Amino acid sequence: MGKHVNITIDGRNILADEGRNLVDVATENGFFIPSLCYFENIDPPLGTCRTCTCKINGKFTPACTEKVREGLAVEVNSAELKDMRKGIVEMMFAEGNHICPSCEKSGNCDLQHMGYELGIAISRFPHLFKNRLIDYGAKRMVMEHNRCIKCLRCVVEVENDDGKKVFSYQNRGNETHVGVDYEEEKKLTRDQAIQAMNICPTGAIIVRGESVGKPFGERKFDEDSIRPDYVKPVKSDNNIDLSNVEKKRVATVSLAGCFGCHMSMLDVDTEILDLVELITFDKSPLTDFKKFTQRCDVGIIEGSVCNEENVETLRTFREQCDLLVAVGECAIWGGLPSLRNTIPLGECLEEAFLNCVTNEQGNTTIPYHKHLPKMLDRIYECREVVKIDYFIPGCPPDAQHIWKAVKNLLWNENYSILYSEFKYD
Amino acid sequence: MSKTITIDPVTRVEGHGRVTIHLDDEGNVDETYFHIVEFRGFERFIQGHPYWQAPNLVQRLCGICPVSHHLAAAKAIDQIVGIDPKDLSTGATKLRRLLHYAQIFQSHALHFFYLASPDLLFGVDAPPEKRNVVGVAVENRELAVKGITMRKFGQELIKALAGKKIHGTLAVPGGVYKSLKAEERDTFLNGKEFPDIDTMIKWSQEMVDFMKDYHTKNRVFLDTFAAFPSGHLGTVRTDGALELYDGKLRAIDSEGNITLPDVEPDDYLEYFSEAVAKWSYMKFPYLKSVGRKKGWNRVGPLARMNICDYISTPLAEKARREYFEFTGSSVNNSTMYSHWARLIETLHCAELMKELLLDPDILDENDLVREGNERNVGIGIIEAPRGTLTHHYEVDDKGMIVRCNLIVSTTHNNDAMNEAVKWVANNVISREKTITEGMLNQVEVAIRAYDPCLSCATQAMGKMPLKAELYDHEGTLIGEKTKN
Repeated sequence: MGKHVNITIDGRNILADEGRNLVDVATENGFFIPSLCYFENIDPPLGTCRTCTCKINGKFTPACTEKVREGLAVEVNSAELKDMRKGIVEMMFAEGNHICPSCEKSGNCDLQHMGYELGIAISRFPHLFKNRLIDYGAKRMVMEHNRCIKCLRCVVEVENDDGKKVFSYQNRGNETHVGVDYEEEKKLTRDQAIQAMNICPTGAIIVRGESVGKPFGERKFDEDSIRPDYVKPVKSDNNIDLSNVEKKRVATVSLAGCFGCHMSMLDVDTEILDLVELITFDKSPLTDFKKFTQRCDVGIIEGSVCNEENVETLRTFREQCDLLVAVGECAIWGGLPSLRNTIPLGECLEEAFLNCVTNEQGNTTIPYHKHLPKMLDRIYECREVVKIDYFIPGCPPDAQHIWKAVKNLLWNENYSILYSEFKYD
Repeated sequence: MSKTITIDPVTRVEGHGRVTIHLDDEGNVDETYFHIVEFRGFERFIQGHPYWQAPNLVQRLCGICPVSHHLAAAKAIDQIVGIDPKDLSTGATKLRRLLHYAQIFQSHALHFFYLASPDLLFGVDAPPEKRNVVGVAVENRELAVKGITMRKFGQELIKALAGKKIHGTLAVPGGVYKSLKAEERDTFLNGKEFPDIDTMIKWSQEMVDFMKDYHTKNRVFLDTFAAFPSGHLGTVRTDGALELYDGKLRAIDSEGNITLPDVEPDDYLEYFSEAVAKWSYMKFPYLKSVGRKKGWNRVGPLARMNICDYISTPLAEKARREYFEFTGSSVNNSTMYSHWARLIETLHCAELMKELLLDPDILDENDLVREGNERNVGIGIIEAPRGTLTHHYEVDDKGMIVRCNLIVSTTHNNDAMNEAVKWVANNVISREKTITEGMLNQVEVAIRAYDPCLSCATQAMGKMPLKAELYDHEGTLIGEKTKN
């Protein structure tokens, strides 16, 4: 038992054991400090991700590297700090290619989890779409460099029975990546390899045959927030007084989207019959209105932008709708179709129309015609084309999430999203 | 008189297409094209990824039938880990089948009630503001509630099995994640949270009866509208029964002659080729043995009714017999019969779901995943709601996908939809001085009968503008009309 010391967190006096990690002390006392590189077994802490940045005695400092001592004055929850920490996590999402819907670690991923806890629907930074290697050279594992946040956990922690390190930083600056020593990796036992996979806060280390986790709903971060200050919202707050409501017009469109978001909108089931008492669907794939019949209050956009026609459509929606809501991962940042952003478009076309195993022998035709809109060089986020007013993440977003948000935008109805309803996959 | 007709977008279908209709100098239809205008490139960008990601990744092709892609990919990936369909455990097979039937049930319900029924209930000339599910609800709330609830039942069962209603995950290489718990299963049998499986069977039967009656009343239109000869393709059991999850490939010509005699799905490359046209991103699959001109096949409910010898569940088999008694022939080439066939399949899936929900094997938590000797090629073929779906992957020795070939259900229907558009152009629009909104809707009605999923077919995600334009014999665009 160490010596007790007095510290303050956000002005509250706290008695704590001297020398303990500040993140742990704060958490025990009801303060949520996000962290990614911090790992209980690694001492000294790494301090690489900066996700836990707080003001400590007036200086911006990562909390995980701070040990509690007498007189420590810690500021955690100022607006500036909350936004800074959120921005750091957003930067990680933008810097890598974190496609949650296709990632084995989804639901058990610390980066994704921090996104949920911080309420990140979209990154303020443009996605870089760096073309990174998926390294199959190791015996037991596949290194997915698109997902690595360079936290250093594996570099410091993972070693084989010979005491040899398996991972190391290679290159410098933004070209830094975690290299694998294939010879030492071969010596890892199965359990050691799985431990390496589990220590990774993202899906960068995948052990062959061991990456299948648990089903949806049973994964680590599916259901409940870890925030001590998380107030569970009321599940249903659909209390619109129908007698006093002005009917609103809603338009919807699927650009480069799989239609899953539209299907999710219908997953409110018979509630849709109540909704149509409140809203009129204008231009939408679900109606036969080919063009806007009048100005709409809200436009719901599914899908990313992949050709010139998508651009035109999106601009028309911006002109004709008071508010635009981007629904789903594709609309928000490109989603799964953005996998083509690191591949020349020509290669995609050649694979489909020239090299495909069922293609006719000797075919030299790649579709190109005046009635085929020109493809864009890459997938674009909707906000790169027009201003988007609201973002609803998910693949697809939960039906309740979509309609709660839309009702809030239309009538300022109370709006609270369950932790379990806010997901990226 | 020169004119261009624009239908932009085609609605109550999924995907993105455009029709151009070219006239000769007499005003007769010379050529029609159904252009698919988006492209996504899944077959290329999945390369480089580990094989085990495929079932989860490729299901994002489609938000209406993700389960079909998930399971077709899973069957292919099973082979990569050395597991053929016969090697999968009984429990895993039944759980996957249950998921698949729930998917077809909800997809067919969606298509009929949300997308197609407005045309059938209100007529092709009904005002556009009425032709949607809201219009159906206003006109017949009970019918709308039943339709929505049927889709809900399927979606809830998908969620129980795969964790989510859309883009969930059940299949893993060599098996499944989980079995059903007894209390989860009971939800679908006790009717406490939503109507039970017996109610689903009852309502499905009602819809089949409704459609039979509808055909009786509208026979001339439904027999002739967009009717044309074609081949038909699907999968059957070894005894010739309709098989939706794991059958052999069978194709027949428009008169019922066998053109593909119950072959193994793994051998599909021997039999199929795909043509490319410069005016569409969607390819044109056909049977090599028959040739490009006549070797294309319709797929989906209409085709499946035609190719199977019988249906294994009693109510659906009775409905199938009545269907063919009504048509008076063993092969039906009328596009509009797709809706009836689709409802018979809906009934079949409801019966199959009941069988499986009462089967204790779906509760068995043991032996859910099996392992075999790894291979480099995996092929999975399944009957998706819209027809025969093929996923083919090749991987290197490290497990990296190096090649992917997808033949999606709607792609098989590419020629058929072009034929349907041509039929409407020739029989409804050709030489007409005034083009009405109702005429244009008939182009969509013809396409809609195929329940096209153009996102899937082009591996493109998209909306569905369908732009119809008229050209004279010199290829000059001759006017414009926009549908509102």
